[in-house]
Amino acid sequence: MIIHNHVSGLLIGSTLAVGLMLSLLPLAHPWAMLRPEFYPATVLFWVLMQPLRVGVGVAWCSGIVIDVLYSTPFAEHGLALAVAAYVVIKLRELLWTFPVWQQALLLTPVFIAYEFVLFWIDGVAGVDVNQWGRWLPIATTVLIWPLLASILERIGELEVG
Amino acid sequence: MRGFDDDDKPLLLGRRVSPGIKIVVVIAVSIALMMLDNAHDSLSPIRGTLAVALQPVQIAAEMPGDVVDYLGQYFDRGELISDNDALSQQVMLLKARLQKLAALEAENERIRALLASAKALDQNVLIARILSVTPDPYQHYIKLNKGSADGVFVGQALIDANGIMGQVTDVTPLDARAILITDSNHGIPVEINRTGLQTIAQGTGKSDALRLPFLANNADIEADDLLVSSGLGERYPAGYPVARVAHVAHQPGEEFLDVVAEPTAHLNQGREVLLVWTSDSASEPPPQDGLTTDGAKPSSMEADAAGAQ
Repeated sequence: MIIHNHVSGLLIGSTLAVGLMLSLLPLAHPWAMLRPEFYPATVLFWVLMQPLRVGVGVAWCSGIVIDVLYSTPFAEHGLALAVAAYVVIKLRELLWTFPVWQQALLLTPVFIAYEFVLFWIDGVAGVDVNQWGRWLPIATTVLIWPLLASILERIGELEVG
Repeated sequence: MRGFDDDDKPLLLGRRVSPGIKIVVVIAVSIALMMLDNAHDSLSPIRGTLAVALQPVQIAAEMPGDVVDYLGQYFDRGELISDNDALSQQVMLLKARLQKLAALEAENERIRALLASAKALDQNVLIARILSVTPDPYQHYIKLNKGSADGVFVGQALIDANGIMGQVTDVTPLDARAILITDSNHGIPVEINRTGLQTIAQGTGKSDALRLPFLANNADIEADDLLVSSGLGERYPAGYPVARVAHVAHQPGEEFLDVVAEPTAHLNQGREVLLVWTSDSASEPPPQDGLTTDGAKPSSMEADAAGAQ
């Protein structure tokens, strides 16, 4: 377990950079709708596994990165990610006791909260939000979580030994 | 499993702050920032700085696509040769047409002078590369590799070889973001080339359709009519093709026609776009006089010449 070990900031930063790249990779139309939220999931993984290093504040700053790259209202994704991180922090004792695939199920409401905050702010900002496809990434992110979490945990273990 | 004790929170300015307090602060700050961002442009320097700092990630994300493109070109000699042939033929055709253009332009100028109407302005052109398409599939925005450092400004029109694509909405020093005419929040003033009828073409959120919602039932419009930009609204240059009418339907009981048009520009193909603007557009201060209704008046000509020096 990497929860009680100190993972280097460099490692966290580089996994976030890779997650961000996966989120930005240009995809053709039908696939873009299905793209899991790689970057937010990576941030939430570190919120869960490194509670002493990554919390609400870091999650908020990481979200602002998306706002800059997507040109969405400033702090929109920051707010959504901070809210999701807060829920993860509240649930973490429970999450730690489960294997990754059960974690994924338990994280579903977290991803729903994330998408809902975005949906709400987009709606206020005047974006056309009545698209059922907006909610697809919740399912794909939940499906990808076991894989993503095991890979990140493995990388973390390699470093801390 | 052992839980964490009283210091199970990240350090903030040397103190452990509970996530509950933090989330409340973060929500308040976020809402304030979003309102500020919406109301003024005061956050754009911060955005610009961050965008420049994040440029490497953006480039890295584009790399796989670029590598595939490059390898494709590298290995596909046959395609390159046939492309080359097709392009040289096209150049020849265009050159032939261009020969006539010079004469026509001069003639046009003379006729305009006779009519004492505004003289046609020079169109400036800047080529930009499309860096990325919005990752959000419901918004039609593209990112360009030219920014305010290259003279790009908000409102500049974007065209490709076949027609108008959209306009620039945000500029950072190194890149710019442009909305496409098919975004559901976009409308462009157009006229029907055959009749000169003015209307507005709205985006639908689908990349192959524009809607013309303001045409009365008796409007003279048919399938296959070409819509060109009318230049009203002073955002888009006049006379560029925008879309071709795909179908016209009379809705029984409705006052307006249901008209769908297909953009002529290839919105989701190609990597290069042209940014066009007329010399008197926003970025440069407009001349004091001249360029008005009487371009031939000697005094205004002098003013122009003085302004140019």
